[in-house]
Amino acid sequence: MSSTITRPQRTSFLTPRRLRRVALFFASLVLVAVAWELYKVVGPEAGGKIFGWKLLPRANDNAMPHIWEMLERYGRPEVRGSDRKIWSVVLAGAWFSFRLALVGFFVGTALGLGLSILMARFKVAERGILPYLVLSQTVPLIALAPLVVSWGGKLSIGDWTWPRWLSASVLGAFLAFFPVAVGALKGLTSPPSASIELMDSYAASWWQTLRKLRFPAAVPFLVPALKLAASASVIGVVVAEISTGLKGGIGRLIIEYAREATSDPAKVFTAVFGAALLGLAMSGFVTLADLYMMRNRPKEANA
Amino acid sequence: MSAIEINNVNKVFNAGSGNQVVALTDINLSIASGEFVSLIGPSGCGKSTLLRLIANLLEPTGGDIVVNGKSPKQARLDQDYGMAFQQSGLFEWRTVAKNIELPLELKGWDKAKRHERAMEMLELVKLADFAGHYPWQLSGGMQQRVAIARALAVHPALLLMDEPFGALDEMTREHMQSELLGICRASGTTVVFVTHSIPEAVYLSNRVVVMSPRPGRVTEIVDVSIEGERSDATRDNSAFFKGITAVREALRGVEMSDHVRGIEDR
Ligand SMILES: Nc1ncnc2c1ncn2[C@@H]1O[C@H](COP(=O)(O)OP(=O)(O)O)[C@@H](O)[C@H]1O
Ligand SMILES: [Mg+2]
Repeated sequence: MSSTITRPQRTSFLTPRRLRRVALFFASLVLVAVAWELYKVVGPEAGGKIFGWKLLPRANDNAMPHIWEMLERYGRPEVRGSDRKIWSVVLAGAWFSFRLALVGFFVGTALGLGLSILMARFKVAERGILPYLVLSQTVPLIALAPLVVSWGGKLSIGDWTWPRWLSASVLGAFLAFFPVAVGALKGLTSPPSASIELMDSYAASWWQTLRKLRFPAAVPFLVPALKLAASASVIGVVVAEISTGLKGGIGRLIIEYAREATSDPAKVFTAVFGAALLGLAMSGFVTLADLYMMRNRPKEANA
Repeated sequence: MSAIEINNVNKVFNAGSGNQVVALTDINLSIASGEFVSLIGPSGCGKSTLLRLIANLLEPTGGDIVVNGKSPKQARLDQDYGMAFQQSGLFEWRTVAKNIELPLELKGWDKAKRHERAMEMLELVKLADFAGHYPWQLSGGMQQRVAIARALAVHPALLLMDEPFGALDEMTREHMQSELLGICRASGTTVVFVTHSIPEAVYLSNRVVVMSPRPGRVTEIVDVSIEGERSDATRDNSAFFKGITAVREALRGVEMSDHVRGIEDR
């Protein structure tokens, strides 16, 4: 280690590196659009075979509408005669699903953290719980969705009855809690024995050690786990919407619009982009949390 | 009054199992209040184990230890001692000042008082300008100084140090030794200091405890009698060299007997 002194520097939010990343993101969007249109020019109209395998997608306007047709579709009404433009319908759907995913994300994160603390505290709990956590993630979501809906439907506490949307959030949470539990457990048990001994030498209680040492030490492990949890909660919610037919969200829009694929091929893509926007919003939210939590950490790791 | 009394202490790890290790046997040592005592000996002779026994991070298998007139456990609960290791062990998410405040936080001090004490400690280790820095923004030597400040933050009567300068370069090391002596002289702190370095042990200590491995025990206690206050000039003092020779000879005896035993084992 050198003896040079670095002053703590307040780095501005828009560093050149971050700006470059944003620029790269938009550049890659343009690139995908160009590739799409290029394929429409050179690709086979009715699909094509490579060595007898039907691999090449059809390049006709029904299967692959022009990018500008999709964009233009946003400006027209959802159904003929309606005065609601499709962009507002898609945006409302994405916003609806976003809120469900957010609930799923928070519930899943809380559950994952709770489990990880339990496992870090009691070795027995780790051995007893961890295998079931792994097993839980092998249950197909599609099979689980109707179950959760029917359980939820039977549930009511006093005046409160289980709202239908909650089932979708629960499925989001079901996918989200796992990476958090595993990542946090790894983080909570990451401090070296010297640090644990230091806390012991201060006669610190287990909770004090958790708050002052284990938890802060777990943050760098938590950041990637939360990113996984964010996309998992979106997937959980969208799949739940589709498989339970929950109205109002982007998942439902995708299946509805897909039915009109032959008459209105651009329509389904407007909803697909809505789902992508939802994923982006979610990961943007987690990235902000990441920037906040890691603001005072050594920078070498992500330089 | 003696700060530490160690009577017939033994420590066996994994007793009864196949990988049983006899780390310490029959340790007797009495350390006076305000004294600076070094533990020296080859790797694995139980220096760190002895320090951890005093700190109550381990329980002895046999014998008893008295720290500050209490059981080691009570001394630990009362935060009677501060500890520093080879790795500074600073928390990277806390500023330098907040790292020093950690033991005070755990003791329930209020914020203003904590901060005041942290600044006082930073003055002591000459790092007052770095209160708001993070550990990873400091050099290794500065980090180690922060760790010492943290160990001294509760104004403990006793300082336990396990090769605290082991990872530093020679220049920084000598500088830190002088600073440590100055701090302890000013505060009257008793120090138990584990080291590998003979000059370091002699320069710092009133007494050097020479230990030997397998099983760990005390083979000799060398009194270092250097007149007056120690300073950089001490390093050219003939008494300093005499001390070094005495410790080296004691250690050589350790290696010899070890060597002989090695042959017997075959
Ligand atoms: N927790 C432990 N479990 C088992 N053996 C240990 C443990 N800690 C230390 N030892 C053993 O005790 C002996 C003394 O170790 P230690 O006190 O670290 O030596 P030193 O600090 O002098 O190098 C070594 O043989 C070491 O392997
Ligand atoms: Mg050691």
